[in-house]
Amino acid sequence: MDRQAWLITLVSAIFFVAAGPVWADEPQFTLVIKDHRFDPAELQVPAGVKVRLVVKNEDSTPEEFESSELHREKVVPPGQQILVIVGPLDAGSYGFFGDFHQDTAQGKLIAK
Amino acid sequence: MIGYAIVVFREVLEAALIVGIVLAASKGTPGRGRWVSGGIALGVLGACVVAGFAAEIAQAVEGMGQELFNAAILFAAVGMLGWHNVWMGRHGKEMAMEATALGREVAAGARPLYALASVVGIAVLREGSETVLFLYGLAAAGSGGAIDMLGGGTIGVLCGAVVGAGLYLGLLRIPSRHLFAVTSWMILLLAAGLASQGAFFLNQADVLPALGNQIWDTSWLLDEDSVPGRVLHVLIGYVARPEGIQLVFWATTIVILLSLMRWFSTAPKRAVVRAAVIVSLASAGLVLAHAARADFTIHPPIVEYQEFEVEHNGSYTFDSNPANKHNETGTLELGYGFLPWWGSEVEFAWSRTASDPPRRLDEINWENTFQLADQGEYWLDPGIFAEVGKSARVGNTDHVEIGPTLQKQWGNTVHTMNLFFEHLFGPDNGEKSVNFNYAWQSLWTWKREFQPGFEIFGDVGPIDRAPGIRDQQLRIGPVAYGKIDIAPGLGELKYGLGYLLGLTHGTEKGALKWNLEWELVF
Repeated sequence: MDRQAWLITLVSAIFFVAAGPVWADEPQFTLVIKDHRFDPAELQVPAGVKVRLVVKNEDSTPEEFESSELHREKVVPPGQQILVIVGPLDAGSYGFFGDFHQDTAQGKLIAK
Repeated sequence: MIGYAIVVFREVLEAALIVGIVLAASKGTPGRGRWVSGGIALGVLGACVVAGFAAEIAQAVEGMGQELFNAAILFAAVGMLGWHNVWMGRHGKEMAMEATALGREVAAGARPLYALASVVGIAVLREGSETVLFLYGLAAAGSGGAIDMLGGGTIGVLCGAVVGAGLYLGLLRIPSRHLFAVTSWMILLLAAGLASQGAFFLNQADVLPALGNQIWDTSWLLDEDSVPGRVLHVLIGYVARPEGIQLVFWATTIVILLSLMRWFSTAPKRAVVRAAVIVSLASAGLVLAHAARADFTIHPPIVEYQEFEVEHNGSYTFDSNPANKHNETGTLELGYGFLPWWGSEVEFAWSRTASDPPRRLDEINWENTFQLADQGEYWLDPGIFAEVGKSARVGNTDHVEIGPTLQKQWGNTVHTMNLFFEHLFGPDNGEKSVNFNYAWQSLWTWKREFQPGFEIFGDVGPIDRAPGIRDQQLRIGPVAYGKIDIAPGLGELKYGLGYLLGLTHGTEKGALKWNLEWELVF
């Protein structure tokens, strides 16, 4: 078999696989950033499954959603929303904060 | 103003430390100041661009643009740092001869300063973009005027630069003959830390699993956000609450870079480096006069779907012929079962012969296993194995190897057969030749942890002008395999061990073969 045929096969295979993962219906929750605070400040999510968090920034300046317990660090531009996928989480409480306004932007994710 | 200063200092610190290490590592090379300054300037420019496009980047690639962008530039930096270390390993001796004109010429002309400058640029861009966004937010909110921002920002940058300079001057105190080794190690650890950060972002992008959300929590001992914590974070990749995947990438980067540095090193081997490489997954190599490598691996027609594996295979041959006395081969493979019927692996293969002692990377192969039917669906389990290999040695050939793989389970025994055809490409291959090799394995599935049996490996050579059986390679011998669970979520370890006796004149008297695999399903 010649090299070209191989190359075509391999590239097709790569494209096939890269078609993108299909995210099943994972539970989705929304966090709103307003006046440099999170709303809700405490959010309950199911434990043991992947959870989609939509973080909406309704302020006019950027914020960074960050949590060392959740291992997440992502900038939310003003007026935009971002997607943060967490989990599967063990039951417990996980703190998160807004890195750009740490004094007011604090919250907790409670996994049950 | 203090608020601005503190924020800027925190972000600048990481970049400043990297600049300090890079400057120390490139000491003695003329023009490095210009390269590093260029890197910083481009990094600052890039940071502003990235900050400006933050919204677009965040929404890209189904909302994971930020993560993928960060991971990409971090791994690019890892590559650059690795390249620098490998390059230094090859030319370190010449570099040390600073006193001679030749040494200076080599230093001036050949050093990959662009690699170091890129690393500096990437570090500045990463930290800078966050800083720009933060400062923009503060400014837009009107907390303090332009003077506060400029003043605070400048103070922050200066403080960060002071720490970086401190590291640089501290490193310069090390005598020249040791500086090379010290900065190589620092760059190695820096690269491992960046790789671990890259893994963090790939996990955030839902591309990699966490493999354990928090292997340990040392935030009580040293908080990652404190100044000493950040310093350690940059220098060695310290993470207070690491995910398992971060540790895997940290360790794997060190293993891979150390191995690459050692393979290409022309310097006399140091006992410490040697011990580190042996302790790592890398193993001895072998160069055979034979164009095709003697790899004693059986490929089953089974794909382990969604299973990630790191594998090492090795062999050590014995012969009475002094030229063939002790030959070694080794491989390191990383693989994943992407689809239920397709699994893929990247393999680095090296070798070493008695006549050519240094370990050399022979080839990099891409192996694919195709499972054509469910196990037990037909009387024989059919599969196809296809491998493309790129030679890493001058004058040696690239190859494509393909063939059917068959397996049959019979009571508590399992039998596997491989029939492979190998086509060699290369400048020395005037006559296109197709080589044929075959292998057989029979195992008694007595216990999961211990399955004994035997294997046969034969290599006919070129089909159209095959030598008689006497000059072909043929081996047979006892083997044993086993699987051990490590811990839930941490995968399993597979081992294999065997001794193959050479049956023909064209085969070495004996060969010890082994393999070790770590597998994880996710």
